Amino acid sequence: MSHHLFLLSPSDTPLYSLTHYSTKPAQAAAASPLSANLPTWSTSAFAGTLTALSGASSMTQSHYVQGSGVKMGGGQDRHVIQMIANASLDAIEDVMRRDGAMYLKSVDKFNEWTVSAFVTPGNMKFILLHESKNDEGIRLFFHDVWELYVKTALNAFHTAHSAIRSPVFDTRVRASAKKHL
Amino acid sequence: MSIGYVPPPPSRFSVLSTSSISSDHFSPTNSSPRFSLASAPSINSTLVGSSKPSQPRQSIYDRPINKTRTAEVSLSAFSFLFSEMIQYTQKRVSGINDLERRLNALGYRVGLRVLELLAWRSESASKAPKRETRFLPALMFVHTQVWRAVFAKQADAIEKSVENPDEYMIVDNDPPLERHISVPRDMSTLSCSSFAAGIVEAVLDGLNFPARVTSHATPTAQYPHRVTILIKLEQEVLAREEVLK
Repeated sequence: MSHHLFLLSPSDTPLYSLTHYSTKPAQAAAASPLSANLPTWSTSAFAGTLTALSGASSMTQSHYVQGSGVKMGGGQDRHVIQMIANASLDAIEDVMRRDGAMYLKSVDKFNEWTVSAFVTPGNMKFILLHESKNDEGIRLFFHDVWELYVKTALNAFHTAHSAIRSPVFDTRVRASAKKHL
Repeated sequence: MSIGYVPPPPSRFSVLSTSSISSDHFSPTNSSPRFSLASAPSINSTLVGSSKPSQPRQSIYDRPINKTRTAEVSLSAFSFLFSEMIQYTQKRVSGINDLERRLNALGYRVGLRVLELLAWRSESASKAPKRETRFLPALMFVHTQVWRAVFAKQADAIEKSVENPDEYMIVDNDPPLERHISVPRDMSTLSCSSFAAGIVEAVLDGLNFPARVTSHATPTAQYPHRVTILIKLEQEVLAREEVLK
């Protein structure tokens, strides 16, 4: 089970990203990821498209076919994850116009990935890619990240476009991810 | 925390007309109105921390951000800082417009933080935190919440322009920012509340209502310091409001 977190500034500059491999037992056995339900040809067709889109030639499709066998979802290439996160921005901006909630759960889906987002009043976006349903845990996780982000933002040396490099921030986000995801 | 109070020599206030600063403005008894600055907890704990050097240095992530009771800053201290900010800015600009623009930019940095902090304080306890998506509630939020957090009082009025549908005004009869400022006659168009305008601009910008915010002195006989913050919304905001209606 892997989770990917991205923090994007109001102008969509990535400020921070985190990949978290959950140690919790994957509920995937019961609710198997989307890819497992689909016939193999469809996912591999998708993967082929993805490969072409992202311009990568090295990606082997066996990642997708084996899927749950290896490190779940972790076998996917970094750039594909980033592309899914970026693509979800459209859906997020669509929803946040209408919906006043900060926590937007499951705004977008792509293959086995579900995208949940958290939009702060200052228009910072936290995007989380996850494979299984875990609304409450994700809510608590976003809440922690929000607090950490507010504290970061209060720092006079932080600007809306500066990447968050604080090791303390990183440790705390990881600790929270470990606890809630 | 006590800071020895030394009245600054009048010559330091070059921006302000020195003749009009009467000494009673600076008497400690007159400093009862207080700002509560959003980022004050960090200031407090820095001062406290420095007196006990044996403690390991706290990171900003260890400090609570919900404390508001002790987070007030004295008005005289802030006035002194603000006058230094204006002097610093004035040395680097070529005209009044430029000066106001820079004060606005300084306020913008404050506003971004005020917005995030206020939202955290009011919404973090709730299970489903909300953002403002409509303009009028957002304007009310600026008028009450933001003003109360930054200036420890509400603004006095919100007005809507009759001629231009995209213009709104926030009126403050006695802005604490300008209480110790008297603008020289040759710079009479300068409004130091551009700083407050910057705060408003940042808050509205953050809430996704891009606008151009300026500040204008509109003195009346009763309120010589009266300031109007003029908000000129971008077209897209009006269009969106129309759709959401």
